[in-house]
Amino acid sequence: MIIEALEVIFLFVTTLMMAYLIRHYIFTLTVLRRAKKAKVDAIVDEKYEPPVSILIPARNEDKVIGRLLQRIAELTYPHDKLQVIVIDDASSDSTGRIADEYSSKYAFIEVLHRENGNGGKGKAPAMNAGFKRATGEIILCFDADYYPQKDIVEKLAKEFADPNVGAVQGRVVVLNEPQNMVTRLVALERIGGYRVDQEARDDLGLIAQFGGTVGGFRRSVLTSLGGWDESILAEDTDLTFRVYLAGYKVRYVIDAECYEEAVDNWKAYRQQRYRWARGHMQCCFKHSSKVLKSKNLRVKEKIDGLLLLNVYFMPLVVLLSFIIGIPLIFFESSKIVGALWFSVPISLYSFVGNFAPFFEVGIGAYLDGRTRTQWLIPLLIFTFFYNIPICAKAFLDLLVSAIKRKNHSTWVKTPHLGNGNRYIEN
Amino acid sequence: MIPNLTSIITILIVATPILILITFLPAFLELKKPKDGGPRMIMRSIPEVKTLTAHAIHIANIEKEQKFDISLIQTMAKIIEVLPNLEV
Repeated sequence: MIIEALEVIFLFVTTLMMAYLIRHYIFTLTVLRRAKKAKVDAIVDEKYEPPVSILIPARNEDKVIGRLLQRIAELTYPHDKLQVIVIDDASSDSTGRIADEYSSKYAFIEVLHRENGNGGKGKAPAMNAGFKRATGEIILCFDADYYPQKDIVEKLAKEFADPNVGAVQGRVVVLNEPQNMVTRLVALERIGGYRVDQEARDDLGLIAQFGGTVGGFRRSVLTSLGGWDESILAEDTDLTFRVYLAGYKVRYVIDAECYEEAVDNWKAYRQQRYRWARGHMQCCFKHSSKVLKSKNLRVKEKIDGLLLLNVYFMPLVVLLSFIIGIPLIFFESSKIVGALWFSVPISLYSFVGNFAPFFEVGIGAYLDGRTRTQWLIPLLIFTFFYNIPICAKAFLDLLVSAIKRKNHSTWVKTPHLGNGNRYIEN
Repeated sequence: MIPNLTSIITILIVATPILILITFLPAFLELKKPKDGGPRMIMRSIPEVKTLTAHAIHIANIEKEQKFDISLIQTMAKIIEVLPNLEV
């Protein structure tokens, strides 16, 4: 009886793993096919230049904020249609002073200083504070450690010419990639996620994801949604689903590139991934049933949405497959277990690197003309194993919070040391 | 022939490190002496490298599409060169 129950669970988890595997094969084949033909946008109005507000939340970012604001000053979008709001979120360093200097130099740059009482409580409250002051028709967001292309605002804003578009997302590229092994592996994950995954989802009409930065919203949509949810750690994923559930689309603009300073040590990596995992799981519990019931989503969007919401459970599912599968080999079990076992190692290796399978990362690097960096792909298996305890802890903490009915979701900010500066030529 | 347990273990002991070495050797080589340049170097003062590259590719494509023949231009240039001499 126990063996049969274990077999049923094993069948369930391996089926789930294969579903993700097939999904990512489809993504990879889609971008390969797409690479051969030029992208055709549904509605492209080159003269569409709406007023744009850019929100930049910054807490203790004095190593990087000047670099971003200098770049903001160089943006090619008409400055009279730009409003840039730096949200100095109770910084204890010179972030506020640097922002003030740029504000006094450029009329379109404003600084919102938040003191310790209100500020320092995470990104979502800071964004909401900035949003209250924003006047633009389009609201874009950039993190302080990012370095955008000069024409990125044009590239992102033009998508809003289509009234069905509620949000956009640009591509994130790691700036400090050559720094060390951690940054190089994070860069590989980004290639898988942004060169293949997001592009395929956009192309197939699935759930393109707003990543919290290098993107933005139509003001009217964001207002109707009530801004950022301050109780959710993955406020970006939360907004993505709220946009879709409200009947709008998120467009992914692959050529709108922005360079980020990636985490450069395992501790910062762990803290960042823990936040992502816990926040994503919060979104899963919040939105899964809404996605299933929604009349605004098509069947394929519902399936992709559910797979996306559950993605941070996959390291735990893979672990479970091993825990259940290994005893089943030794105990007397049906022949189907042997067949299913083939899927376990294949699926395991397919969830490496921020859950972008190795073949997806490889194809992404190939399409970027980065064949040499493919040599590092086997190392992503370590990041996958590293993600198992991170996701397990996130899940357990979330369960404890639910039982105690207390939402202790403390925002642990990723420190930025300005290591990306050396990769920008003066 | 069914191999006995000792030979299976021996094969595993020998094969496993070889498999690990084959899998990870390229990665360690690339880490030790990186030949991948990383992302494009970003220029602060001139337009994006990508834009320039894309522009160059676009021009190359136009030339290819029009089956551009440089020898024809050279011949025309020679003719234009002698034109002023004809006036004398």
